[in-house]
Amino acid sequence: MKLNFTIESKVAQKVWDNFERDLIHKLARLPKKEREEISQEILSHLYDSACHDEASLEEVKMINAIDRLGSPDDYLTPLVEDILLSLDLAKGHPVAILNSLRKAGAKGFMHLLATMVFGFGYFSIIMLFIMATAHIANPDVGVWLHNSGSLSLSFGAQPDSIQWQPEYFSVIGGITSVFAYWGLNKLLNMFISGRN
Amino acid sequence: MPSKSDQVIERWIPQFKKGLLEFIILLKLKDGAIYGYQLAVEIKKITSIDMAEGTLYPLLNRLNRDGLVETEWLTTETGNPRKYYKITVFGTEVLGKMGSYWTQTHSSILKMVDEK
Repeated sequence: MKLNFTIESKVAQKVWDNFERDLIHKLARLPKKEREEISQEILSHLYDSACHDEASLEEVKMINAIDRLGSPDDYLTPLVEDILLSLDLAKGHPVAILNSLRKAGAKGFMHLLATMVFGFGYFSIIMLFIMATAHIANPDVGVWLHNSGSLSLSFGAQPDSIQWQPEYFSVIGGITSVFAYWGLNKLLNMFISGRN
Repeated sequence: MPSKSDQVIERWIPQFKKGLLEFIILLKLKDGAIYGYQLAVEIKKITSIDMAEGTLYPLLNRLNRDGLVETEWLTTETGNPRKYYKITVFGTEVLGKMGSYWTQTHSSILKMVDEK
């Protein structure tokens, strides 16, 4: 969708163009779809606001409208950060996950506790994935059931123990870790949405 | 030069407004779908809150991400697109809880203010 109107005054057009350029620059980190949608919404707001301004000169109407919107840094920076965080988390981006955990951990004891639980969850999933991959080269890597009834994840053969599913451990471990990673990302996303 | 109490109030008001705005936006959306500019104008008119209109957009994005509102692009008679915001069923449920909390808090604070 494109904005459909004409600006008569050259000065007003220049003010508009400068604002639009600044807007596009500040939204540059966003994917194209989000960038276009936000810039369209802000420009539509600016146009509506300028149309309702009581000043007589078009450029003054435009400047007043920009002024009423406030400093672009004040509203675009939190908007861009918020969108990027949710997009990165949805994609399971490790840096975004790390940043979210760090921010959550700094908010107090309960957040720190939740961060440790999430951190342990990610650590376990990554370990499982590494072991599932390592099992291809070394069949002794896997889950071992001990005679005492306990079980352990091990990188080597265990005495007096039977290995659990040695033929399928790589497949089971790989698939489980991918699904668990996806599930944990969803949980973290919910946790962050609820706590922000 | 502003007094010390004015300086404290200057710091306090933005925090107070920020917390209230999400509630006010949802209250306004309960009356029907609305676009950003119209929402800003009506909030300023009803509440006399002197806010930068752009600050609504991060809040609207947050409400949308949390599923409290949904959006739709509609084209005006002049051919210009506008993004309309509409409260969802979940948003209405949350608004109800916000309303109860607000009533409770408001009465308690009024009582404290009256006692002073």
